[in-house]
Amino acid sequence: MRIKFLITLSLLIILAPVLLLAETATVITKENAIREYCKFFAPVKAQVRYNDVLEILSTEGDWYKVQFGQSTGCIHKTAVDKRTASASGSFSSRKGSGVSENEAALAGKGFNPQVESSYKQKHPEMKYHLVDNIEKLLVSDREIEQFVTQGGLRQP
Amino acid sequence: MKKYLILSVFIFAVFSASSSEAFDFGDISKHVGNAIGVVDTTAKAARPISDEEEYYVGRAVAAKILGTYQLSNNKELTRYVNLIGKTVAMNSEKPFTYGGYHFAILDTDELNALACPGGTIFITRGMVNLAANEDELAAILAHEVGHINKRDGISAIKSARWTEAVTIIGTQAAKTYSGGELSQLVGIFEGSIDDIFKTLVVNGYSKSQEYAADESALRYLAKSGYDPNALNDFLKRLATKGKSSGGGITQTHPATSDRIDKISGNIPSGQVDRKAVEIRTARFNRIPK
Repeated sequence: MRIKFLITLSLLIILAPVLLLAETATVITKENAIREYCKFFAPVKAQVRYNDVLEILSTEGDWYKVQFGQSTGCIHKTAVDKRTASASGSFSSRKGSGVSENEAALAGKGFNPQVESSYKQKHPEMKYHLVDNIEKLLVSDREIEQFVTQGGLRQP
Repeated sequence: MKKYLILSVFIFAVFSASSSEAFDFGDISKHVGNAIGVVDTTAKAARPISDEEEYYVGRAVAAKILGTYQLSNNKELTRYVNLIGKTVAMNSEKPFTYGGYHFAILDTDELNALACPGGTIFITRGMVNLAANEDELAAILAHEVGHINKRDGISAIKSARWTEAVTIIGTQAAKTYSGGELSQLVGIFEGSIDDIFKTLVVNGYSKSQEYAADESALRYLAKSGYDPNALNDFLKRLATKGKSSGGGITQTHPATSDRIDKISGNIPSGQVDRKAVEIRTARFNRIPK
């Protein structure tokens, strides 16, 4: 009887931290999407922005199944920085691309918009307006999907 | 005796589990936390740049390149190049970067393609015209996507700049910098842009980086459904035309014959859908260049 009690107690002690573990992912792209299923062209369920924190539910290949607010869906591993919070509150971090630095901790530090702004003032000859134009050219998911299909290419 | 033995096994199990990162408690968690801190610091010192920072570096490099070369106004060709490039990038190890992949054409006969850190890729009109079909154009872009995936642009920055940057970034918790620190960071930023620009336009990456980008390109092409042999075909044409053009890619890349030697034997096997290649070549020919 006493041994049964000890076994149960020990198992509870072992399992408690696992149950308390919360895996989160911080979005590390300017913007991204949570998709209905784990494919690039799957319908978008929610838009996410840089630094949004998502709860990881499971892993499916190169994708995480995540929860963001009321939305549940998939996000590609390279769009987030995964963090594992332990029961003690310490964190370990791993980026989807396999890089070990903590992207979230570096967010907004170093070469940021403030540095760019000062650099622009110092170098007005730099053609930033053309770079902005290049970035403004949007190609929709639908357009890429059609391009892939019509060209006999493979969907990633 | 048996009871004590069983009890000992369970106590051992509990403490063994507790000492791992996932099961840390109390003092143990402090030690584990410190260990994680050390690992993080080492990682930052080795490559202390986030995707967001890489994006701002890339924008500046692109702005500098556009001070040297004119941007093409051919909207149809630019959109087409973006469709090919984004398709290839989706099949790379890193389909998402902070600001995404963007492709643009430089209005020059020079033969070259340049990858700015973070995802902006330039290809010259001369290079587009040298490609015989869509698959060859995809091969050129896939090589540049390979450089971005490997963060080759960032590796061109002198290590001394990182040491200085880490000191400022590491001590500043706030996201806005004031006075001297901002001035120092802008100086480091400026130097970093010059390092990358010189590497891209004048000196080129190392041979090993170029060969690695070719290997990546072969993988991305095969995964996308493009014919990986297209890289070999294009390089053979480049070996002939590149010699007469001078400058550009011949100045910044290893001898094309060496690149051909390196990739031959590494081209992924698999059946190429010739009919699909023809369909893609037809749409390539329809785009005004």
